[in-house]
Amino acid sequence: MTVKKADIENIVSEAIEMTNLARENDQKIPYAADTALYGPNGHLDSMGLVAFLIDIEERFMDQDIHLSLSDERAMSQAKSPFRSIHTLIDYIDSLIKEISS
Amino acid sequence: MSIPADSSLTSHHSAHDPNELDQTRTALITGCSRGLGLAMTEHLLAQGYRVFGCARGESPTEHERYTHFRVDVTDEHAVTQLFRQLRTETKTLTALINNAGIASMNAFALTPSETARRILNVNVEGTMLFCQKALGLLKRAKHPRIVNFTTVAVPLNLAGEAVYAASKSAVETLTRILAKEYGSFSITCNAIGPSPIDTALIRNVPSAKIEALLQQQAVQQKATSADVINLLDFYLRPESDMISGQIVYLGGIFS
Repeated sequence: MTVKKADIENIVSEAIEMTNLARENDQKIPYAADTALYGPNGHLDSMGLVAFLIDIEERFMDQDIHLSLSDERAMSQAKSPFRSIHTLIDYIDSLIKEISS
Repeated sequence: MSIPADSSLTSHHSAHDPNELDQTRTALITGCSRGLGLAMTEHLLAQGYRVFGCARGESPTEHERYTHFRVDVTDEHAVTQLFRQLRTETKTLTALINNAGIASMNAFALTPSETARRILNVNVEGTMLFCQKALGLLKRAKHPRIVNFTTVAVPLNLAGEAVYAASKSAVETLTRILAKEYGSFSITCNAIGPSPIDTALIRNVPSAKIEALLQQQAVQQKATSADVINLLDFYLRPESDMISGQIVYLGGIFS
């Protein structure tokens, strides 16, 4: 299984697009590395984050990659991996490397 | 597939999912090999549902629209595997019916801690696990539903059923809070509280006790599977989008 960082970025970008479908124009989440997702100035509330993470998990499942993004491990990290788009991408990258090694 | 202009219609659906507008109703029922679970399985199959069932043992159900999983609802790894496999068979889940449950009629002081743990594991943890794991599939469905099971032992505070009733109190609270949290995905979450029905669950309860229990009901007779199915149908119907966080007991019992 080879998943490049660009593949992860694509999936996250598609999930953002999907989240934006349900949002008013002035509420859209911009796709940029430093976009705050969850926490201070984050665009997502807790249920929004859950929906977003599930959407990403399912997109990976479609490729037979089974990730659990919202488990205790993610929640208990001192610095949340869901702070921004780039921290999320890095986190997914580390999880995928872990399961493929 | 083109996306409808009205984005509200697609807010919880994947734009790339070929099944997103599939009208087929699907249900996952836990504890489906006998009693109420079996009756509900047969009923939903007759209604045209694609039914996925799970139980610790085999199921007597044989139907082209039925798939059985042998799973202990408290085994998180096995439940995760079940959902992985489920996802290869369906992209949406219309109804999750958390029917698996166990009871033990015992004076509280005499209830072994292992029995208490097992009751809490199956009734509470099992329900929680399925509610969590099913979220992804439920939120893609039209009119998605969770139906949990409680008992009249909760409002009646029945002596001899402390642990069982406590476990179902937890299920009731879970039901109400999930109704709020999952409400943002348009998933309703309700519970059915059957009064005594002749199933394996009450086989060992003395008949005098059942009789005394029936005396406390407004409708003083035993319920049947059909009474439960009537309420299940009410929760499941598409018109019940506004019914959520409700606990309904059979037999005219109210707290």
